[in-house]
Amino acid sequence: MPSATDNIYLPKPAVLDRVVDEIHEVKTFYWHFEDAEEQRKFRNFRPGQFAQVSLFGTGEFPASLPPSPTEAETFFTIRTVGSCTAALHALKPGEKFAVRGPYGNGFPMEDYFGKNLVFVAGGIGLIPLRSCIIYALAHRQNFKSIQIFLGARTPRDLMYRDNLRDWEQSAGVECHLTVDRAAEGWTGNVGVVGSLFKKPGVQVPIDNTVAFVCGPPIMFRFVIKDLLAMGFPERSIVSTLERYMKCGVGKCGHCCIGVAYVCVDGPVFTYEQIKKLGEDI
Amino acid sequence: MRARLLNRADVLKIVDLLRAQGHEVLAPFCGRGRDTFFDTVTDANRDEIQIHLPNPYYPPKRYVLPHIERLLKVQRANGDWKIEPTFDEPKRAIFGLRSCDVAGIWHLDRFYLGRDFRDTYYDRRRKNLFLVNVVCTDPERDISDECFCLCADTGPAARDHFDLQLMDLRDGEFMAVAGTSAGEAMFAEPIFKKATAAHVEKRRAILDEVRKRFKNTTSWFPATVRYVSQGKILDKTWEEIGNRCLECGGCTYVCPACTCFTVSDRQVGPNEIERVRIWDACALQGFTRMAGGHNPRKAVHDRRNRRFFRKLAHYFIQRELSVACMGCGRCAAVCHGDVGMPSVVEMIRRATAETEKTNDQ
Ligand SMILES: Cc1cc2nc3c(=O)[nH]c(=O)nc-3n(C[C@H](O)[C@H](O)[C@H](O)COP(=O)(O)OP(=O)(O)OC[C@H]3O[C@@H](n4cnc5c(N)ncnc54)[C@H](O)[C@@H]3O)c2cc1C
Ligand code: SF4
Ligand code: FES
Repeated sequence: MPSATDNIYLPKPAVLDRVVDEIHEVKTFYWHFEDAEEQRKFRNFRPGQFAQVSLFGTGEFPASLPPSPTEAETFFTIRTVGSCTAALHALKPGEKFAVRGPYGNGFPMEDYFGKNLVFVAGGIGLIPLRSCIIYALAHRQNFKSIQIFLGARTPRDLMYRDNLRDWEQSAGVECHLTVDRAAEGWTGNVGVVGSLFKKPGVQVPIDNTVAFVCGPPIMFRFVIKDLLAMGFPERSIVSTLERYMKCGVGKCGHCCIGVAYVCVDGPVFTYEQIKKLGEDI
Repeated sequence: MRARLLNRADVLKIVDLLRAQGHEVLAPFCGRGRDTFFDTVTDANRDEIQIHLPNPYYPPKRYVLPHIERLLKVQRANGDWKIEPTFDEPKRAIFGLRSCDVAGIWHLDRFYLGRDFRDTYYDRRRKNLFLVNVVCTDPERDISDECFCLCADTGPAARDHFDLQLMDLRDGEFMAVAGTSAGEAMFAEPIFKKATAAHVEKRRAILDEVRKRFKNTTSWFPATVRYVSQGKILDKTWEEIGNRCLECGGCTYVCPACTCFTVSDRQVGPNEIERVRIWDACALQGFTRMAGGHNPRKAVHDRRNRRFFRKLAHYFIQRELSVACMGCGRCAAVCHGDVGMPSVVEMIRRATAETEKTNDQ
């Protein structure tokens, strides 16, 4: 929480450390604040929060925080789609930009202690969920079963490969992958992410379970339908909403949807809340 | 009531006092015809300040939220960014602020300074601002056909949130009421005299009479807020409102309670950039457009409705403890499609009341 004298629009200088290719047009940017005190304050973020990233001269844009607070490094994973994201992609290690945040409500992970977790992600929807998954695994004893269902267009569109390998091999978590279109060498599942729920041997618990769903709008709609059909209550499904944002602190009005300011009331909402916003998402 | 009396001839001495204290004083003036505006008082125009006049369309909101405001100055040197916040916080007083606009500034206070984040820039400017409210008492000059502060419960006499309030008691006398200790401090000046119970009674009588002079006395705010909050408004009604919107953005421009802005970077030198914020309007296309062109709010009635939904939904009223409409009537006066707030409230009431009636039968 900022103090009353903090300038809520003032970003702090950050240094780009290294860049890792994820998938086509998506890279992960490791960075740190120039000022150690800023870095320390920022590291209090929660899974599901986001930051405002400044590329001076181009503008500012919101980016999720894919790292878990339990990890040492700070990074963004960004797809280049327009002017600001392209400007970040053009930066070289050692070059500077600026960041302010963390913002938004984030996922209330502590409230989920003692529950089963089901993660469903499509495409770059894995970016915000990565934080929760790593967090859950770092606090493994606090949760019951953990399942991950991931969909991508093609095998080449699967991101965070090292993590995927870990999750597939780790005993404490069940990880299922699927692609829309297979490619040579792919022996895994082909089909939409919802098809994984019906795979032989897969048992998705409904009672005492939280389902995290993040992905493109069309995937979101289908997965929600599947989950509701399976008997999930609307309040046990959580997601993050994406809106055009300018300020990130509830003042500019751009992210308003129905009765919510996504930047401060969200971006995390239960499906029950999403339905009550009073405007289509 | 911390009230005093002063002579008509001494009213502008308040402006002189404020100027002597180092305030830039903004006051209303008359242009040609209906054209009225706020401007900085100088020695040259001081005597032309108007006490009774139609409220300027261009609202005094810009003195707390400038149209275009620089937030940061950023300089590049040897690969480093020097980021410097820039504050513009002149010591100012607005003289002749109407009650609806007093409520407007109060609403902005609630919005920009409330909740988890305080808007630093707004805060600093607001702290340096002194507000002198003038009560609308002249039915011919002060009150226009569109005014509906009675329904919005903001006027004709503001109850609080001003530093000083002036009201014409006619017969060459004004009553002054202090709303803050800064306002009360002005009473040390010899122009202020003691007010008697008779003066207070006269004030009440004039207000009673003025209230009867509003043409627009029956708005259906409470009913409309209920309909909007309960999602009772038919798509047909929203569409009808949307179809009449020409998307000029005029209503947000003149509204003392609209808060939306956009942020943009501009190059001002080879190694210097300014980050500015600019008034924006949710009624305009592009407001919600996301990267890649996806726009969740495509149809004009979606955007048009956004503005009314934001102002009338109970959720937001509760959030700020203040309704985002002051009943100033400006949007009604400037709208080419006659979808200003009073017409919208009326359209919603009529359509929804009719449906409710049919449903009851
Ligand atoms: C909470 C949240 C988290 C996100 N997390 C991620 C993430 O982790 N990774 C990721 O890749 N993406 C993420 N996104 C999406 C990301 O923010 C957008 O892709 C990004 O804003 C695109 O910016 P751009 O400048 O590249 O795109 P552009 O298409 O160029 O548009 C955005 C910018 O251009 C200008 N602009 C464009 N249109 C307008 C207009 N109509 N009015 C005014 N200015 C305009 C503005 O300066 C604006 O900032 C997230 C979005 C949100 C809301
Ligand atoms: S909505 Fe219209 S009547 Fe209400 S405060 Fe704004 S401009 Fe005035
Ligand atoms: S991004 Fe500005 S209000 Fe949410």
